[in-house]
Amino acid sequence: MDPVELEILWSNLIGIVTERSKALQRIAFSPIVREAGDLACALFDRRGRMVAQANTGTPGHINSLAFAGAHLVKLFDGKCEPGDVLITNDPWLSAGHFFDITLLTPIYDGDKILAYIGSTIHHTDIGGYGIGAGARDVHEEGLWIPPLKFYERGVPNAVLHAMIGRNVRTPDAVFGDLAAQVSSGHAAADHLIALCRRHGLEDIETLSDEIIARSEEATRAAIRKLKPGVYHGESQFDVPGGEIITLKTALTVDTDKGSITVDFDGSSMQTSTGINVVLNYTHAYSTFAIRSCLNPELPNNTGSLAPIEIKAPEGSIVNCRYPAPVNARHVVGMYVPMPILKALYQVMPERVLAEGSGAVWTMQIQGKKADGNAFTSSMFNYSGGMGARATKPGPSATCYPTGVAAVPIEILEAAMPIVFDRKELRRGSGGQGRTAGGDGQIIQFRLLTDAPWLLNAVPSRLGQGPDGIGGGAAGQKGVFQVNGRDVSEPRKLTMQPEDVVLLETPGGGGFGSSNY
Amino acid sequence: MTYSLAVDIGGTFTDIVLRNDAGALTVDKTLTTHHDLLEGFFHGVHSVLSKAAIDPNNVDGVVVHATTVVTNALIERKGQPTAMVTTEGFRDVLFIRNEHRYEMYDPQIEFPEPLVPQELTFSIAERTLADGRIMAKPAEKDIASLVSQLKASGAKAVAICFLNSFANPENERQVATALRQALPDLFICTSSDVAPQIREYPRASTTTVNAYTMPISQPYLKRLSERLETEGFANTPLIMLSSGGVVGAETAGRNPVRMIESGPAAGALAACHYAELLKIDRLMSFDMGGTTAKACLIENRVPLVTGLFEVDRRYRFKDGSGLPVTVPSIDMIEIGAGGGSIAHVDDLGLLKVGPESAGSMPGPACYGRGGANPTVTDADLMLGLIDADNFLGGDMKLDRPAMQKAFDRLAGELKLSPVEAARGIYRVVTEAMASAARAHATDRGIDYRGLPLFAFGGAGPLHACGVAALLQSASVIVPPQSSVLSAFGTLVTPVRLDLVRSDLGRLNDLDWDRVNRILGELTKEATEALAEAGCAPQDVRFEFGADMRYVGQQHEVPVTFEADPRSNHDISGIASRFETAYRTLYGVTPSHVGIEIVTWRVTARGPLVPFKAPANAASKAAAPKRHRTVHAWEDNQQVAVYARADLAVGQKTEGPAIIEERETTTALPPGWSAVIDSYGCIVATKG
Repeated sequence: MDPVELEILWSNLIGIVTERSKALQRIAFSPIVREAGDLACALFDRRGRMVAQANTGTPGHINSLAFAGAHLVKLFDGKCEPGDVLITNDPWLSAGHFFDITLLTPIYDGDKILAYIGSTIHHTDIGGYGIGAGARDVHEEGLWIPPLKFYERGVPNAVLHAMIGRNVRTPDAVFGDLAAQVSSGHAAADHLIALCRRHGLEDIETLSDEIIARSEEATRAAIRKLKPGVYHGESQFDVPGGEIITLKTALTVDTDKGSITVDFDGSSMQTSTGINVVLNYTHAYSTFAIRSCLNPELPNNTGSLAPIEIKAPEGSIVNCRYPAPVNARHVVGMYVPMPILKALYQVMPERVLAEGSGAVWTMQIQGKKADGNAFTSSMFNYSGGMGARATKPGPSATCYPTGVAAVPIEILEAAMPIVFDRKELRRGSGGQGRTAGGDGQIIQFRLLTDAPWLLNAVPSRLGQGPDGIGGGAAGQKGVFQVNGRDVSEPRKLTMQPEDVVLLETPGGGGFGSSNY
Repeated sequence: MTYSLAVDIGGTFTDIVLRNDAGALTVDKTLTTHHDLLEGFFHGVHSVLSKAAIDPNNVDGVVVHATTVVTNALIERKGQPTAMVTTEGFRDVLFIRNEHRYEMYDPQIEFPEPLVPQELTFSIAERTLADGRIMAKPAEKDIASLVSQLKASGAKAVAICFLNSFANPENERQVATALRQALPDLFICTSSDVAPQIREYPRASTTTVNAYTMPISQPYLKRLSERLETEGFANTPLIMLSSGGVVGAETAGRNPVRMIESGPAAGALAACHYAELLKIDRLMSFDMGGTTAKACLIENRVPLVTGLFEVDRRYRFKDGSGLPVTVPSIDMIEIGAGGGSIAHVDDLGLLKVGPESAGSMPGPACYGRGGANPTVTDADLMLGLIDADNFLGGDMKLDRPAMQKAFDRLAGELKLSPVEAARGIYRVVTEAMASAARAHATDRGIDYRGLPLFAFGGAGPLHACGVAALLQSASVIVPPQSSVLSAFGTLVTPVRLDLVRSDLGRLNDLDWDRVNRILGELTKEATEALAEAGCAPQDVRFEFGADMRYVGQQHEVPVTFEADPRSNHDISGIASRFETAYRTLYGVTPSHVGIEIVTWRVTARGPLVPFKAPANAASKAAAPKRHRTVHAWEDNQQVAVYARADLAVGQKTEGPAIIEERETTTALPPGWSAVIDSYGCIVATKG
C-alpha cells in the first residue's frame, strides 16, 4: 500500500477511536474514568484483530481490551445482526474485575460487518462487596455478566437490563455510562463508514493486514537490536494485612525470532484476599512496561503486541484461577512492571526507571454529615515518588505505572466533612543515587463529625521501600497511622469522630551509585 | 473624521491598522522589537500616521492593543523572582500538581518547572473551610515574620494562594493588605481575585502566572499609556484579553494572566465580525502560519470560550504538559502543522509531516538558508502552488534547486517521484489539520460537517479548500487584509470582561441571598472595569451563566442563562438550559440525577462598535495575469493565476485557479469556484 494513503487511513482510524475515548471520559459518571481516564476504546477487524486503539487510557485497560474484543468476535461469529451490542465483564475474559464492563458493537455497512468497535470502562458500582479486597471469592464481588447481547437488533435486552438495574447500587450512573458506551459505538460506526466511502474501501481487511504486518515487523526489528539472552528481575512488596508478595520474571530476548517472552514462574501463589490478578491484566501491564521502553511511539495493535509473550503459572497471583477474588487486582497489578524493568535494565539501562511506590493508595470514607445524612465518598487516591531515570530524577508525588490524578482537596472538602491538615512533599524520601528517586507525600486528614465513620484505605509498601537500581538506594517505605499508631489491615476500619489519619507515601528508588 | 488605531504585537511581526469612520484602512507591518516592544509599536504607528497624513491628536477614537509580552515572559522565563504564600501544610501545591502523568508511555516524562521555586514558597497558619467559614485567622506576628522573610528573599512579586479562598477571600485579603503596607514596591495578587474557582492547584498555578508577569506588564502598560499621552493621542489604550474582551490598561495590568492569548483571540474576533457582515451563524476560523495552524469554532457569530488552558507546554501539543491557567480564553486548537512543518519517513515507512518545524531559521529548504529537509512550503513550491519569484510580492526569492535537493532523499525513501512525495505532504498535512479540527469539534459536541472555513494566515488560504472538503464543507472565505487580521479584529470588538466565582450549590436548594450577593459583586466589579475603559454604566450589558454538572460528576459544562437569574430565580429554566447543553455535548441526559452549580459566570459588554465596511474599488473583471504548471491535483495542469487586487466585485473564478496577493496565496482546486463579495472577501464554493 502507498505510504501516503496508508498514513492517512491509519491516522484516521486512530483518530476515530481517540475521539470516542475522549467523549467517553468527559461524559462518565464514574470518577475514576473522568479523573484517571480508566477506560479503553479500540477498533477490531472482521477477524477480531485489534487494528487501532485510542491514545488515551490506563495500561490495565488498553491492552486487555485486545483480548476481550478478539474473544467476543469469535464467540459471536455468525450470530450478530445489525443493531446488536455485545457485553461482558467476565474478569478472565477482559480487564480482571467486575467493575470493568466491555461493550463491543459490530459495525454494519448494509448487511455485512465492516469492523467492530469496543470500549471498556470502569463503572461506579457492580453490586456485591463494593470497593476493596475483602470478599472471600469472586461471586461475593458483584454481578457477573457473561458474554451476552446488551442490545438485539437495536432493542435493549430487557432481561439483562432488569438484572443489571436490580443488582447495582447506582443504577442511574451505571446505565448512564453504559448508554455512553453504546452511543459512542454508534458515532464511531458513522465515522468509519464515512471514511470507507471517502476512500472507496469495501472493508478494512487489506488495511488491517498492512497495519498489523508493519507494526509486528517494526516491533520485531526493535527487539532484534537488543542483546539476546535471559534476564531476571524480582520485586517484593507488602499489601494491606502485611502479606508479602514476590513477583519474579525471566525475560527472554530472542533476536532470531525478534520476540520477548516474560515468564512469571516462581512468583507468589494466589491469595485469599481480592488482590489476585488474571493473566489478561498481567499481560496488559507487562506489555505496557516493555513497549514503553522498547518503542513507545509505535501505535498499539495486535501486530505491535504479537512479538511479546507473557506466561505465568496457573494459580499464581498473576494468573489466578476461578473463583479467586479479584476486586482490588490493581494493588498487585501495578507492581507487575517493576520486575520487568529490573530485567530490562540489563538490556537497555538508559530507558528504564527504578522501582517506584507502585500502586496508588486508595481511600474511601463513609460517615454522617452534620445534618445527620449518611454519605459515601467516591474513591480517591494518592501517589508516592516515581523511580529515578538514568539521567534525571524520578518525579515526586506522581503515579506510575497507572495514570490516576488525585482529586483536589477543595473538591473533597466540598463533598464531605473532611478537613486536611497537610499535603506536602515528604522531603528526602526518594532513594539517593546518581539520580534520586521522587519524593512521596505526607498527608493528614480528619473528619468534622460527631458520629463514628468508616475508612477503607489500601496503602502498600509499608514494610519495605522501593528498591534502587544499579547501586541506587531504596526509597523510604510508606507510613499509615491512625492517631500516631501504625495500622495494617486489609478490611475497612471503624473510626472515632476525633481520629486523625496520617499517610506518608513511599519515595521512589534511586538510580546508580551516588559515589560514581 | 474620527480615527481608531490597533496594534498587535506578535512573535515575529508587529501589525498596525488605522481606520477612519468611513471604514478606510491604513496598515503597516514591522518587525517586532523584542528588546523593547514599544519601539516597534511606535515605529509602526508613526508609519501609518504618516501614510494617512495625520497627527496623533487626530486619533480621537480608540487605541486598542494586543500583545505577546506576557506569553514571551512565560516562555523565556525571564521574569523577576516571584514568591508564593500558601496555607501552612500545603506549600508544595505547585510541585505536587494533580499527581498525573500526561503521557502514559514515556518513562522519561518531564513536567514544567513551577514559576515559584521552593525557596520562595512561604506558608502561614490560617484556614478557611469549604463553606467559607474561617477556622483560623492569620496571626499578626506570623504576618510580621512573613514580611521580613519576603523582604529578605528578594522577591519582586508574590501570589497569595490559600485553601478555599474562592469561598471566602477574607484571610487572603488580610495578608495582602498587610503586605501592601509593609512592602509597597512588591507586586501582590491573591488567588481569590485572580481566579476565584474551586481546585487548589489550577488556582495557585493561575495566580503565580499572574504574579510572575505583573512586574513586566504593569510598567509596560504604564509606559505605553504615558507615551501615548505625551504624543497627543486623545484616549488611554484599551487592552485585548484572551477571552476576546477588551479592558482598560489598569485592569489589564492587574490581570496580565488574562492577556496571554490576546493576539490569536483577536483573529477569532475578526472571524466573528465577518460572520456578522456575511450573516453566517456558524463557521470555523482557520489560521495557518509558519509553525502551527489554529482553528476556532464560531457559534451564533460568537467564538467558543474555554475556562482552562495551558502555557509553556513541555510537549508542544500535549494536554496536561503545561502550567494550567483558569481564566476565560477563546477556545482554540493549535495544530503542529504550518508552512515550516518538516516531512519525514518514520520507522514504519510512513510519510509524516510535523510537528517539528524548520521555523524561520533555517526555515524551509526553499528559503535557501540551509534548511535540508522538505517542508510543507517546499511541497507547495514543488507543486506549483506558490511562485518562487512572487513570494512576499517578489521581495523574497525562493531557492528552487535547494527545494529540489531536499526532496531527493525523501522521495527515495518513499519510493515515489519528487512530485508524488510533494503531493503526499500536501495531502498528509491537510488530513492532519482536518482530523485535529474534527477532534476539537467533536470534543465540544459540535457538528463540524458543512461549516464554512474562514481562512487566513500565510498558509491558510493555500490549504483551506482541501481541509474544508475533508470536513464535508463546501465553502471557504478568505478575508481581505488577512495579514493584519488580528489587529483588525481588535478594532471591531466591544469592551468586554468575563468574571467567574466558584460557589457549590445544588440547583434545587440554592441559597439565593448568597447567589444575589455573588452576582452583585461580579456585576459591580465588571461595571467598574468597563467604566475605566470608557463605557458608561448604563451602556453595560450583562450575560449570566454557570459551570454546571450532575451531582457526582467531576467535569462541568458551561451554560449561558436566558436572563439575569436574580430577577426570577428561574430554576427550571436554568435546568433546561443545562440539559440542552449537556445533550448537545454527550447525546444523552441521565434522568433522576440532581444538578449542581460549581462556578458562576458573568460577562459584561459595552455597546457594539459601529462599523462601516470599506468601500471596495470595483473595477472591470480581470483576466489571469498568467498561467503556470501546477501538480497539486494532477500532473502538469496549466492553471490560471490571478492577482487578487485585480479581481472585481462579483467576478467569478473557476478552479483550478491560483489567486495571489503579497502575503498569501489562495488555491482553488478543480470543482471549486470563487467570487469576490462586496466586502472584498474571496468566497470559494465547491460544486
